[in-house]
Amino acid sequence: MSKEPQNHDQDHESAQPASSRRLFIAKAAGVAVLLPVSQIVRHASAAPAVLAPGAAANAAPAAPNAGYTLLGPEEATFLEAVVDIMCPADSLTPSGTDCGLAVYIDRQLAGDFGKGGRMYSQGPWIKGKPEQGYQLPMKPAEFFKAGIAAARKAAQSRYGKSFDQLAPADADAFLSDLAGGKVVDERLSLADWFSQLLYPLFQQACFADPVYGGNRDKVFWKMIGYPGLPAFYAQDMVQYRGKPFPGAQTPKSILDFS
Amino acid sequence: MNKKLKSRQVVFVGGGLMAALAARKLVEDGVDVLVLERGRDHDAGAEHRLPSQRDELRWGVRNQLAQDWSIETYTLRYSDKETALPIRTLAAFLPGEGVGGAGNHWNGQCFRWADYDMQLRTRLVDRYGAAAVPREMPIQDWGVTYQELEPYHEMFEKLFGVAGKAGNLRGEIQPGGNPFEAPRRSEYPQPPLEITEAGVILSEAAAKLGYKPFPMAASNSPHVYVNPDGMRLGACQYCGHCERFICESNAKGSPEVLLYPVLKRKKNFEIRPYSHVTAIDYDAKAKRVTGVRYIDLETGDQIEQPADVVVLSAFTFTNTKLLLGSRIGEPYHAATRRGVVGKNYCHQTQSSMSVFYKDRWINPFFASGSSQTILDEFNGDNFDHSGLGFMGGAYIFNNTTNGRPISTRPLPPGTPQWGTKWKQASADWYSHAFSFSTIGSCYPHVDNYLSLDPTYRDAYGQPLVRITFDWRDNEVKMSEYVTRKMVELANASGATIVGPGAPRKGPYDSRLYQTTHVVGGTPMGADPHTSVVSPHLQHWDAENLFVVGGSVYAHNAGYNPTALMSAIGLRLSDDLSRYARNPQRL
Repeated sequence: MSKEPQNHDQDHESAQPASSRRLFIAKAAGVAVLLPVSQIVRHASAAPAVLAPGAAANAAPAAPNAGYTLLGPEEATFLEAVVDIMCPADSLTPSGTDCGLAVYIDRQLAGDFGKGGRMYSQGPWIKGKPEQGYQLPMKPAEFFKAGIAAARKAAQSRYGKSFDQLAPADADAFLSDLAGGKVVDERLSLADWFSQLLYPLFQQACFADPVYGGNRDKVFWKMIGYPGLPAFYAQDMVQYRGKPFPGAQTPKSILDFS
Repeated sequence: MNKKLKSRQVVFVGGGLMAALAARKLVEDGVDVLVLERGRDHDAGAEHRLPSQRDELRWGVRNQLAQDWSIETYTLRYSDKETALPIRTLAAFLPGEGVGGAGNHWNGQCFRWADYDMQLRTRLVDRYGAAAVPREMPIQDWGVTYQELEPYHEMFEKLFGVAGKAGNLRGEIQPGGNPFEAPRRSEYPQPPLEITEAGVILSEAAAKLGYKPFPMAASNSPHVYVNPDGMRLGACQYCGHCERFICESNAKGSPEVLLYPVLKRKKNFEIRPYSHVTAIDYDAKAKRVTGVRYIDLETGDQIEQPADVVVLSAFTFTNTKLLLGSRIGEPYHAATRRGVVGKNYCHQTQSSMSVFYKDRWINPFFASGSSQTILDEFNGDNFDHSGLGFMGGAYIFNNTTNGRPISTRPLPPGTPQWGTKWKQASADWYSHAFSFSTIGSCYPHVDNYLSLDPTYRDAYGQPLVRITFDWRDNEVKMSEYVTRKMVELANASGATIVGPGAPRKGPYDSRLYQTTHVVGGTPMGADPHTSVVSPHLQHWDAENLFVVGGSVYAHNAGYNPTALMSAIGLRLSDDLSRYARNPQRL
């Protein structure tokens, strides 16, 4: 690997804490080559993968604050209220909405996942055991919207006001009842809606790479100490076995390498 | 458009690990070989490149390297009195798609099975008497011995740079290895991977209880390694993106890294991606196959591909599906217990528990797919089953393959599902927790089998494979026993909090990942009344048809299947080479 002149990357690297000046690996024709950070260069996309943290960080777009592509205004208001109950602003993270959780969920539902792109969707439609999995003709995005409508209706009838207007304690209790099967809709299982769709999406929104719109600024990764990318740990796993790993304080995401 | 192509000498159906291994000797001998693979070549994709390779959501949660369920899934029922339902998003196991198959996204965990496994029926009857194997459990001998397979195991380990510590060299027990290991002629080609902190904890607990822990054998290369074919593995980076991912460092033994590049150099080898095989042409009178039919997904053409020899080298279900759909061999019927195709279908019996250590740094993200420490004391028939009421067992290990935070974030029992307390528990325990697991045997049961579904069809109009399966008494009791042993180990490990150890119970849960080790359907054996293929993997009803892969297993052990399957695949390569020179019943 030849040394090439560095330009803006140099400045960025000099700003890196010492702990991130680890060795990185370049893969060339299946050969692992260890390179110090200072020798890392960016290659054209067809070249072997070479990573430099922050190589394009300055150019990386920040995740947008809002902008829903599937949900309507009332649906989005409901979802924002839900993620703000499930992830309240506290000393650990900003509110769920500010962490991008609602945006993440909207984007997933608007895309291949929401359309059931990889789901088997032929009938007939028969009710089975829970262990046989989801058996409704509705695609996930439609199921999600139907669940929001049912939950909004149930909250309205229980409290006489919309879910987003509830005091946090009431909203939290309502969600607990909903998750526990105590909020009953005539046509749709809200407990299934919560456990099969909303809750997995919520967890993904928190912990998936920020490239998807949630986990804004890697706030959940910082919270737990997940170092993210590039994850070349051949030395670290020996040096830091059984010890705190400094890299966990400054996680890197796909956006930092894009 | 329908097209009939020129006849080929040997045609493989399925371009995964098995085809690459079984084609080796044939291609060396100059035999004309064609491999048909339904998926694409993964070599240039996002799945193989940074930074997109390190995407838990895409590969680890949405399983985008696994089979596309919108095209083809399986139906599931628990007994043959029920109507099966399609599993619309399958999570219980993950067949691969594309060149390399599931050999791309495996963990690299390598096990030689116990030396008695291939003669399991004989072993159990000799040790416990004929009544020890109930009539509902069609455990059978495989018609091949460990001793016959040992050289092929050695060959596979060298080809895949397997890293480990021998426990039994030519009958002499070796310190640091598995004392229950079948005898090996040679040490592993590479030393073991680095131990994880979780493995240190397991080892400390095991020492207190008098067990002998050892490093799992791994096809994750600890160092740069060059195999006997001159193919190179990079060094494992312990990146925690192994199972469900393609290794971007080329450190995981994979057919696309080690095998297909060698085959593709030869003029007498061809692999055709985007070729979805729909049927085998069978001449029932002559008891011979004449070729295969496939859809060319790039053109939509229906292709007839004649062949002298056909080898089914696809995933477990596809091998069975093609035999049933092409009406080769007698389908198994649970009611009468007659027939063979679809019989002895088994999954693997797993259980897990979370353990928490306030003062230990687990750093779960420092892991390879196989950098684990394991105990074999309660596996298979390594312990006396007299009076226990079940057969089989499991290995116990620290199941630390990754710290990917959507999926791998154990929380203490009683943690709320959301809110500040949930966040605080995630922050407190993420780096201080991991799981112990058991990976256990699943012995065949007369009511567990594969057949064709009468209602649901795949995207090409063919019936889906119907799984009739549940956890039967033997596996439920076995799981209770080994899970208890795992809990004892956890209690001895100095954990701050020990989560509940939940043994496996029915109903079988299609939503829960429980290894991709689904086997059976075309079991091998010496008796045509109880097996689909002979000990040389030759179909009993068509001399020029061979079947290889997990489908030929007659039971599942508490060991991962890939290394054994690979030894069987390499042995088939020699058999096919003999057959190509002199076609006859082997």
